[in-house]
Amino acid sequence: MQFKTADLSAAPVVLSIRQLSVGLSGETTKVLDAISLDVREGETACLVGESGSGKSVTSLAVMGLLQKGSLEVTGGEIVLDGNDLLRLTPSQMRRIRAQRIAMIFQEPMTALNPVMRVGEQIAEVLKTHTDMSAGDCKARVLEIMEQVHLPEVPRIYRSYPHQLSGGQRQRIMIAMALVLEPKLLIADEPTTALDVTTQAQILSLIAELQERHGTAVLFITHDMGVVAEVAHTVHVMQHGRIVEQAPVESLLRRPREDYTRTLLSSVPSLVPRHVRAESRQQEVLEVRGMRKVYGGNGWFLRRPGTLAARDIDFSVVRGRTLGIVGESGSGKSTVARCIMRLVDPTEGEVRVAGIEIARLSRRALRPHRKHFQVVFQDPFRSLNPRWTIAMSLTEGPLNYGMRYSESFARAEEMIELVGLPRDSLHRYPHQFSGGQRQRIAIARAIMMRPDVLVADEAVSALDVSVQAQVLKLLGDIQQKLGVAILFITHDLRVAAQICDDVIVMQHGAIVEQGPAAAVLSAPRHEYTQQLINAAPGRHWDFANFRELETA
Amino acid sequence: MAHATQPASAMQALLGALSLPRRWRIGAGPIIAAVVLLVIVLSALLAPLYVPYDPMQMNSLNRLQPATADHLLGTDQYGRDLFSRIMIGGRVSLLIGVGAAVFSVLVGLLIGLVSGFFRIADAIIMRIMDSLMAIPAILLAIALVALNGPSVWSVIVAITIPEVPRVVRLVRSVVLGAREEPYVEAAIALGSGMFGILWKHLMPNTLPALIVQGTYICASAILTEALLSFLGAGVSTEIPTWGNIMAEGRTYFQVNPGLIFWTGAVLSLCILSINLLGDTARDMLDPRLKKREA
Repeated sequence: MQFKTADLSAAPVVLSIRQLSVGLSGETTKVLDAISLDVREGETACLVGESGSGKSVTSLAVMGLLQKGSLEVTGGEIVLDGNDLLRLTPSQMRRIRAQRIAMIFQEPMTALNPVMRVGEQIAEVLKTHTDMSAGDCKARVLEIMEQVHLPEVPRIYRSYPHQLSGGQRQRIMIAMALVLEPKLLIADEPTTALDVTTQAQILSLIAELQERHGTAVLFITHDMGVVAEVAHTVHVMQHGRIVEQAPVESLLRRPREDYTRTLLSSVPSLVPRHVRAESRQQEVLEVRGMRKVYGGNGWFLRRPGTLAARDIDFSVVRGRTLGIVGESGSGKSTVARCIMRLVDPTEGEVRVAGIEIARLSRRALRPHRKHFQVVFQDPFRSLNPRWTIAMSLTEGPLNYGMRYSESFARAEEMIELVGLPRDSLHRYPHQFSGGQRQRIAIARAIMMRPDVLVADEAVSALDVSVQAQVLKLLGDIQQKLGVAILFITHDLRVAAQICDDVIVMQHGAIVEQGPAAAVLSAPRHEYTQQLINAAPGRHWDFANFRELETA
Repeated sequence: MAHATQPASAMQALLGALSLPRRWRIGAGPIIAAVVLLVIVLSALLAPLYVPYDPMQMNSLNRLQPATADHLLGTDQYGRDLFSRIMIGGRVSLLIGVGAAVFSVLVGLLIGLVSGFFRIADAIIMRIMDSLMAIPAILLAIALVALNGPSVWSVIVAITIPEVPRVVRLVRSVVLGAREEPYVEAAIALGSGMFGILWKHLMPNTLPALIVQGTYICASAILTEALLSFLGAGVSTEIPTWGNIMAEGRTYFQVNPGLIFWTGAVLSLCILSINLLGDTARDMLDPRLKKREA
């Protein structure tokens, strides 16, 4: 593993945060509690922490963008090049924001104006803050667009945001941030919304530009893999405090604080789980020649549809886990939705517990629905906010004619099985955290005693430590109930942790299929190799604080 | 939230002292509106118990009197007591307002649910609703009243029909948004039937919007009733309603301005209060505010 080790102690400090505290307006609760950190010229400082640790609030405080009336700075100073930013007037701050500090965000689509050509959006920054002529502006914009390696620069200059891919939009954001050559770049989860191969490109782009311009970068992320790739120094945050700060290598090798250790230990390893003996159980889910075309049937015109999945063949036996891995648009969710019959497959067979369900009408399907259940990605939307947990859990069994007293008793049993107290049943979803809600969603699915559990990105929205717990829960449940799990994910690490077998999908088709150990450690298909090479921090075994032993 | 930061009035200070949860802390305006509306509704409901004169009783010696001790607000061109007429007239006006609101919300909810959930029904229903919206509401009302004769029920129906498409669109848009929610898909996976999903998962989502819409319909129905009566296409002229009183008073406006002024004042106060309460309900039921508190 090649860490960034450049000695920067001689470089001038660009940003210096001293004892910064931020509180909720009118209350004593502290959101940030006396945090201090320095960022030097050419340095990448990573702020790492789980959601709610205060990393985004830190970046907003530096930008002077704390939400008025709800958050306010209560103490400390933020010094940029000798100026205390907290003492500046709003108009002085506005000038600093464009010329000295720039920021890139997680979701480039919402950060760009959808009705303005992207080139003009970059040019607007120049027009507002410099006296350049229109011709010079355009030349400078084209130059910076070249620097961020956009293809066909003149065409993209004239494009609107929706005509670009996610990676291209993020490159535009970076170009816009760097066009005035700021001293400090704040990157708030800049690659979280991107696919892993795009992420690798964007990370190397930021590093390249930083080297060229000597920019100081404050990089906010929750992903330890990204930290290992980009950071010089790491600041670990928890509950509004910095619990540990150290150069990246010593932090990953010799973490001093318990919290850092816990955080690192939760990072799933890319090494596939130990191989479980292949049982000779019957196949509970069998998919043959499935194909799904979206659209394509207008009333007046026959338009060609979009082919979302084709030639899908696989099967899962009781008690094992099959992972479907792929980037966005690869068709993995379409496969899951076809199996759940939330959409109807265009062709092919889906056999659950021996029953062919792909061709059944919605009504004829209802008696069989209990054999296959689903857990969705977003824990905040997968439970009806107006219902108590008991109502959500008993809905399914009641549909199949179970008496309420009986299904309530089962709900009590299941809620304990997923590690929540029985009195949770009388509460509402908003009283639970994301991880707890995901446990409730799992409990709701296993209330039906399904043969197959489809988990569609079920841990992707969770913090890494919670993610580890939920993955363990899924494993335990599988052992107890013998359910087959179809696990859909974009995250190779997660797939390596939980799957016995893996399918890799690209452009709606399966490109590689086999036991997890074989696919992930010795990939044969070029695309699988690309995916694995793009995984950030892939040479590091975070949980054991050392390099990964290559088998 | 803009309100409830510092007590701006005695009323607000009192509410602050009660330390209500933040979402129930409201300004003084809505409370005054609620009190005014309550007074108007109660005085209309209880009118037969306390009004000094029979609102129909004519007295040719006492025509177009200004306000006196005997006649609190004066009399109209037949010598009928204006105060009694306004109070009794409120009963019909409010009945029409509430009736039109309840009917259009109920009908709109049913049609909107079906339209939002079933694709094919949607295509047909929405085209019918579009064509209903293309008809001018007042003309439709006049035509319906002309067909069915003047009565409270035909006025309610006449006001309800043009309101229904708006409610349908509202309900449909909420249902279209909610049916894509993962919890609805989870319910499908749990084997819930279509009607169960419609009723148990989707319908409750529409209630906040419907309550707010209902108050607006109520206010506009009271106004429309007044307008229809004023045009002579409303409830029979013998029955006092706020619209009828003003329609008849129009001719004698210069002799006794109170005929229009007092009736109009009560009508305006009533509409203003209802609208204010509707706005407050909208603010309190706004899902975005709720999310922030959760």
